[in-house]
Amino acid sequence: MKRRVIAAGCIALTLGLTATACGDDGGDSGDNGGKVEGKGKTLTVWIMEGTNPDPRPFFKEVGAAFEKKTGAKIKVEYQQWATAQKKFTTAIEGGEDQVPDVAEVGTTWVPQFAETEALVDVTDDVKKAGLNNDLVEGLKDAGTLDGKQYGMPWYAGVRSIVYRKDIFEKHDLKPPTTWKELQATAKTLKDKEPGLIPFPVAGGAEMFATPFIWGAGGELATQDGEKWKSAINSPEAIKGIEFYTGLATKDKVSPAKVNTWTEKEVGDAWNKGQVAMAIGGNWTPKAITDANPKLKGKLGAVPIPGEKGGMSKSFLGGSYLSAFNTDKKDLAWELVKLMTTGEFAAKWAKQTNYFPGQNSELKKIEGQKDPLVEPFAKQMIEAGATVPKTKAYGEIQASQVVTGMVQSILTGKSSVKDAADKAAKDMDEIFAKDK
Amino acid sequence: MLVDDGSKAGSSGSSSRRSRPADDGEAARRRKRRTTLTRPWLLLAPSLIVLAGLLLWPLIQVGKLSLQDYKVKFGGGEATFTGFDHYKDLLTGELLWKTVLPNTVFFAFACVGLTVALGTAVALLLNRLGPTWKLICSVSILAAWAMPAVTGTYVWIWLFSPEDGMISQLADSLGLIDAETTNWFTERLPFYAIATINVVHHGFPFVAITVLAGLLTIPKELYEAGEIDGANAWQRFWNITVPTIKPVFLVVTILSTIWDFKVFTQIFLMPGGSGSNPDVYNLGVYSYIEAFAKNDYGAGAAAAVLLTLLLLAITIVYIRTLFRQGEEDL
Repeated sequence: MKRRVIAAGCIALTLGLTATACGDDGGDSGDNGGKVEGKGKTLTVWIMEGTNPDPRPFFKEVGAAFEKKTGAKIKVEYQQWATAQKKFTTAIEGGEDQVPDVAEVGTTWVPQFAETEALVDVTDDVKKAGLNNDLVEGLKDAGTLDGKQYGMPWYAGVRSIVYRKDIFEKHDLKPPTTWKELQATAKTLKDKEPGLIPFPVAGGAEMFATPFIWGAGGELATQDGEKWKSAINSPEAIKGIEFYTGLATKDKVSPAKVNTWTEKEVGDAWNKGQVAMAIGGNWTPKAITDANPKLKGKLGAVPIPGEKGGMSKSFLGGSYLSAFNTDKKDLAWELVKLMTTGEFAAKWAKQTNYFPGQNSELKKIEGQKDPLVEPFAKQMIEAGATVPKTKAYGEIQASQVVTGMVQSILTGKSSVKDAADKAAKDMDEIFAKDK
Repeated sequence: MLVDDGSKAGSSGSSSRRSRPADDGEAARRRKRRTTLTRPWLLLAPSLIVLAGLLLWPLIQVGKLSLQDYKVKFGGGEATFTGFDHYKDLLTGELLWKTVLPNTVFFAFACVGLTVALGTAVALLLNRLGPTWKLICSVSILAAWAMPAVTGTYVWIWLFSPEDGMISQLADSLGLIDAETTNWFTERLPFYAIATINVVHHGFPFVAITVLAGLLTIPKELYEAGEIDGANAWQRFWNITVPTIKPVFLVVTILSTIWDFKVFTQIFLMPGGSGSNPDVYNLGVYSYIEAFAKNDYGAGAAAAVLLTLLLLAITIVYIRTLFRQGEEDL
């Protein structure tokens, strides 16, 4: 098996060599001077499937530009979000032969992969390229551990509130600016639009709950030196959880079926036109109108309100492009730079409806004043938050501690306090194990 | 090649045999005994090597892993030996005894009972049908069997999905539940009831086909004799059918038990089944969460070893019963 892979690699390389050799006949104007020479080499690149509806043309362009710049080719392999983390872990265990040269890495995975020493620390390269002051702070921070930055922020997204503008106008409702207004609006919607879900409290969606924990002044966990400690049962956090779950348990603005929903099911309900208002990502409006064109022009967005005005923080999620510790890491950095800055970064952001990781590019988007983009951009710049930056938090997420807590409250199996205490205990167990 | 070696050994033996007859006879007998001892193993060797590579080696690795703390590192992980700590944690945890084991065991027994009962009933039905209907019914139950577990699970989730699912709507219109406030996936009993339906639906065709094959071997005369003696259908079933094809029932019961103990897909894919609802953990899901969500490979391996031991115990019972059955028949 291995031999066959090597043989295939050799053939590919030979083909690549001849192809580039032919290409070079035209005469290179010599802009390769001082650059990394990659003639005859091929970089393996892992990209997540689903972010861009059709990424093939994009990577064809990137491949052409990269080959022109360095002489090397790229080979893109698409990965599934659901299984990618395990695939990465297996490849890392396998070492240099099995990891890609460059890969899209979810920000919450960076701590885990960095700890295994699989990712290249690019702090100095970023400085050398003069990029360090132009990166969106929250994003740069998400991939920086102990002062070492493990890749370049590529694109990011954030959740705010998406609502049905037409329904709101019909009942003279205004987008909420405080938690009280959110609650009152949802209750009015319940009375006036019995066919719609006023505000889904989805038990399986972690990032629907966290804005309320952060908005009440709570934290998921806090760091003290090297050690992490859960804070999800602090009085502030409990207040946030109480408000959020209360929307379902007391105000009944979210029916029982939503208790086990994840963001996918909320999206399905949007597509069927069954939702009046919900937490949604900056990628949501386009996904909804693509699936249900009847809703075009009927959607609005607003940042998640703070308890008494302002904004509640929302999870700033995104992807890094990181180079892995292979023998082609210099070449890999060239590709990372090419894709995460300037033209290609902007193009990717535009095609995917996400935000670029560079401040200068982000400002350009904000400047367009699109009512379905601006609220998200505002949320991202002013009220973005990250989850605890430790490998343990990835494990906490994978074992569904927060969603488990929310679900046990929604189903009435435990009180808010008991559920939060249990979640805190589960978190601390995982933190302790991973010292 | 093996045969070649054997014949060569035989011919060289016969050439030396001529010189000293008495001694020679002894040597030949010994050689023959050696051949009868080694030849089966030689013939078995290829498949044994494959089995060892595919099953034994991973089994040893899981056993080893369960005694370690394992950390993934670039190019090969680090293992620290921890003795029986993972087993101690597993066996002293409340979760195992109150949730994981009861869920696994009760669910398996419910599934096995229902699968075998339904499968037998269907087999009896098939046995009585005419050729056309037999074909139609066989094809439909084979379709249930051929359905991949993932697809089947999604279909059942969809049917039972709260508020909108067909069965939820039906129950609501009959006044059994209030669809808006009922979510069957959040409680342990309804959750496992749905999983049971799913597993039984997927598992009964195997039982039906196997039992039908057994039914076809029962001589008609037995039933005729029973009828003459005045036995009704119920008595004929328990006094003729069941004793005659008891081995078939044994096989399907014990195989179903093994399969239903290690159900994973059907639980994991259900809402809340992948970890957010600890009430519905079974051994398979628990082991998966420990190993692949918490990256605690040792603890996951320990749970997997526990499941293996449980299955091993069942298999031993299975093999012993089968052998005893064989002796009785002799």
